[in-house]
Amino acid sequence: MTAYALPAPRMMGADFLKLRRRRGLVAVLAMLTVGAVTITYGTIEIMHLVDGTTHGPAGGVRHLGHGVWVLSALGAVAAAIVGSFASAGDLDAGVYRELVVTGRSRLALYLARIPAGFAFLLPFVAAGYALAAGASVVFAGSNPAPDTRLLVVTGLWTVLQVAFYYLLAVGISSLVGRSYTVGIVLAWRLALTPILATISALGIVRELVPGVALQSLAPAGLGDSIRQGPVIPMSLAATAAVLVVWAGVALAAGGRRDTTRDA
Amino acid sequence: MTTTPLTPYVVETVGLTKRFGDRTVVGDVALRVPRGVAFGYLGPNGAGKTTLIRMLLGLTPASSGSMSLLGFPLPHGRADALARVGAIVEEPRFHGHLTGRENLEIVAAVRGPHAYPLIDGALDRVGLSARAGDRVKTYSLGMRQRLGIARCLLADPQLLILDEPMNGLDPAGIQEFRGFVRSFVEEGRTIVLSSHLLDEVEKTCDHVAIVDQGRIVVQGSIDELRGVDGLHLVLEVDDTARARGLLAADRAVGLVADDGESLRVTLLDPAVVSDLNRRLVESGIAVRRLEPQQATLEQRFLEVTTRLENAA
Repeated sequence: MTAYALPAPRMMGADFLKLRRRRGLVAVLAMLTVGAVTITYGTIEIMHLVDGTTHGPAGGVRHLGHGVWVLSALGAVAAAIVGSFASAGDLDAGVYRELVVTGRSRLALYLARIPAGFAFLLPFVAAGYALAAGASVVFAGSNPAPDTRLLVVTGLWTVLQVAFYYLLAVGISSLVGRSYTVGIVLAWRLALTPILATISALGIVRELVPGVALQSLAPAGLGDSIRQGPVIPMSLAATAAVLVVWAGVALAAGGRRDTTRDA
Repeated sequence: MTTTPLTPYVVETVGLTKRFGDRTVVGDVALRVPRGVAFGYLGPNGAGKTTLIRMLLGLTPASSGSMSLLGFPLPHGRADALARVGAIVEEPRFHGHLTGRENLEIVAAVRGPHAYPLIDGALDRVGLSARAGDRVKTYSLGMRQRLGIARCLLADPQLLILDEPMNGLDPAGIQEFRGFVRSFVEEGRTIVLSSHLLDEVEKTCDHVAIVDQGRIVVQGSIDELRGVDGLHLVLEVDDTARARGLLAADRAVGLVADDGESLRVTLLDPAVVSDLNRRLVESGIAVRRLEPQQATLEQRFLEVTTRLENAA
């Protein structure tokens, strides 16, 4: 692979610019991350303030789990939207061919989108999580507050989930286009994964479902507050292999499509 | 960046063919574009012009044949060749939510650090400096075409490939575009301009290839093409029938047509005009008018395409 086949840092910056300058996308992303967490904790805390005997404080370990559940679910939605824009934005605008005729390798054009999307998406997720973590501590009241280790591990787990679905969306979007990608990723993440996880007859096959693998990595300290169906114990190696293969296959298929399509 | 080989032809194709299923869109094309000219690739809509350009630019693969750009064989030398090529295929497309300058910055990022310092000059040259900070979705078609040219200039191109660049432009825009093309040629750049507009190609280009149904039917300089069958004369005499008989027997005369009032004569050898006049006069035929006529590209185009239609 020549240097011309690799994405230059400025190419990643250019792809970041294309995302950052979409005002609607920025607004939606902010709503799905920071906005959703704010509404979640705000609602619980208001309910507590109004009726403290029925509703406990908004903070604590249990509500950290609830906040992260909301953030990871809506973060997957955000990941699907950003991934599809990052991957198919040039093609939709008709600009892809204008970039191909520069002579730069198509693989470099494709690869540049991955870090650019991360740079755009993950700060929103991090900000949303920071809010959730902060609220869990500040509003803990009589509830047990999460310790630093739990906060860090939960944060990393949240970012991992969003990053995984972003990679999946990038690959799928190159294959089927932007409009279908959001639907496919969300149907898989929010509908099919919980259904497959509960079908015990599938046995060990369920471990091949990435949502199940991600769930097996959920911080034990959060208890049942983030459970989305049965927890199927998996080794770390098996979990990593499932996630790497899914993301790798999606990205490779998308890359193959992008490098061979008529531009 | 690899040094560009100094070849006499900036575009060279041999037997270049593109098929979609059973349909041949570009057939056995042998194209040679000389360096430093404005080259018109002229043909009716659906003649395969855009497909040929898309193959040259690596947007779609060829079914068979070989091609080179700036002396680099394709597709192997694609990156080196396209580094010094600017192109507009069909209409220039941009991210509408970004400004003109940001759109150029995106292409500069892809082309490499050497392209960034060229952005201001490119915007200035096409007269868009004042609007460079506006979103492209607010631009008119003419402004987008100019921004497309600015984007091409980020390659400091030796070769510009422009596919139907005049489409949709108003007369002022066409005039302006023609000016751009001529100024680029004066700088030593080569322009390949595909068009179905005969008049535009004739006014803008030095060389032309006429393409029909995916095949090049004739190529050469505009002057060569206008007079490729010899010199055309309009002749008015007092005895048309006798003059026609005399001319038809002359080996230097290729074609004699009688429109009722005058004879239209094609001479295979332009040097015999004065001999012809003398022989007519010596035969007792009074010559009232003898006028050499320059054939237009349109006449040539119609001749060539008519010949093809008759042969089909």
